[in-house]
Amino acid sequence: MSITNLLENWSDFRQQHPSDERPHREYKWAMSIDLDSCTGCNACSVACYAENNLPVVGKEKFAHGHSHHWIRIERYWDNDGREFADQGAQFLPMLCQHCESAPCETVCPVGATNHTADGLNSQVYNRCVGSRYCNANCPYKARYFNWYDYPTTDNVWPEPMNQQLNPDVTVRGKGVMEKCTFCVQRLTVAKSNARSAGRSVLDGEVQTACQQVCPTGAISFGNLVDPLAKVGKQWMTQQVELNKDKQAKDAEEKAVKLRGYRILEELRTYPSVMYLEQLRESAI
Amino acid sequence: MSMLSRRQSNCLLGELLTMYCFLRFSILLVGLIVSAGSYAVSAAQPLTTADDLGPKVEQPIEFPHDRHAGDAAKGGMQINCMYCHTYARRSIVAGIPPLQKCIGCHQNIESVRETPRIKKLFEYWEAKKAVPWKKVHDLPDFVRFNHERHIQRFVFAQNKPVQEACGYCHGDVKTMTVARRQKPLSMGWCVSCHQKDHPVDATSTKTTHGPNDCWQCHK
Repeated sequence: MSITNLLENWSDFRQQHPSDERPHREYKWAMSIDLDSCTGCNACSVACYAENNLPVVGKEKFAHGHSHHWIRIERYWDNDGREFADQGAQFLPMLCQHCESAPCETVCPVGATNHTADGLNSQVYNRCVGSRYCNANCPYKARYFNWYDYPTTDNVWPEPMNQQLNPDVTVRGKGVMEKCTFCVQRLTVAKSNARSAGRSVLDGEVQTACQQVCPTGAISFGNLVDPLAKVGKQWMTQQVELNKDKQAKDAEEKAVKLRGYRILEELRTYPSVMYLEQLRESAI
Repeated sequence: MSMLSRRQSNCLLGELLTMYCFLRFSILLVGLIVSAGSYAVSAAQPLTTADDLGPKVEQPIEFPHDRHAGDAAKGGMQINCMYCHTYARRSIVAGIPPLQKCIGCHQNIESVRETPRIKKLFEYWEAKKAVPWKKVHDLPDFVRFNHERHIQRFVFAQNKPVQEACGYCHGDVKTMTVARRQKPLSMGWCVSCHQKDHPVDATSTKTTHGPNDCWQCHK
């Protein structure tokens, strides 16, 4: 892809995501996260560590920004100059947004990250050469780089603990980028089972690890193409549309009852994760 | 004043230019030396190519696939592959049969009961130990391969003979004794088939090719 081609057809490249003319056919995996229900308990993050073989890097490396939490809880204090916020903290689980027009995909020099037909933003570790360009271009900072060889030299999983590793997920080596996959190993199994039964994946048949453990059920996950899916209904109730960069909630005339929005939509990344705005005042 | 400064700056520029040239040249030189060195190192090691069929696997019992699955004309029993590798049609893995399955037939076959291989088989049975079969078709850990999808497609939807369908990846097992890898099992080799158009089922003329997105096989 030459630079002239890139510049001349920039709008085309930005519109490579499935749109009204070219919709998703069978699956479009999407999520919605209800910030009103989120208590910031971090169970999702822990479940993700267990499911996806994430290394626990320790305090020092964490301070250097070498952490590997594919889903992290972002904490916001609204303390208005006071020492502590009266209302307590507000929480926001942040994960890869699986953008339909992902900024990370266009910049990968080796094509290690690209879009699947199911609307997932895939990351192929074998192909990744570790340029970290994708990480630099990700507005959500949801990509994590393997600075160390965690399984061997760092020995993150010493002898009996390596038994806990999930065999369906690669244990990543040094020098590759990684990120949330929407638990693609579970999606693949569910799709295969559904196909054997001659149908599509039913709503609720497959859960992501973070969704499975969320004690308040703040996370819903499903197939946006399926009209019966809970996540699709939520998107519809909130009038959030995949191919829009501005949702009804933030329209000129304020729609009071709507809570659905997607983060940094104005960048036209068209994320697959919808957040429901927090209404209650305190997290506690 | 201004003339002087311009000359000074010209001088500085010239100096920078020479330095730049020198640096470029030296970097080139170093690069050449390093690449020559690395070539010398890599030349000494054996090459692993896509055609590498892996090491020869020694099995605890030399299982005669030709006797079990081979053609009747050549003294084979023509047993369906999935009689022993029973999970292939409904699971990710094809499965190595448990010892019970071997004994289930062989306790009733008196004619070969005293042959060395069957004697060894019964030794395992009496010691209540599983036969430690070795893996021949060992894919890397980052590959997700599903037997069920392939068997359902080729054997059940397209009505291909089982041995032919299995043979796409496993080679002509019915002529082997101990199974050997005959195909490279490399990504390029997988893709070479996934790119082809295959009929959807035995009767229709509609064709589709295999999935080609990375996460279908890479995990």
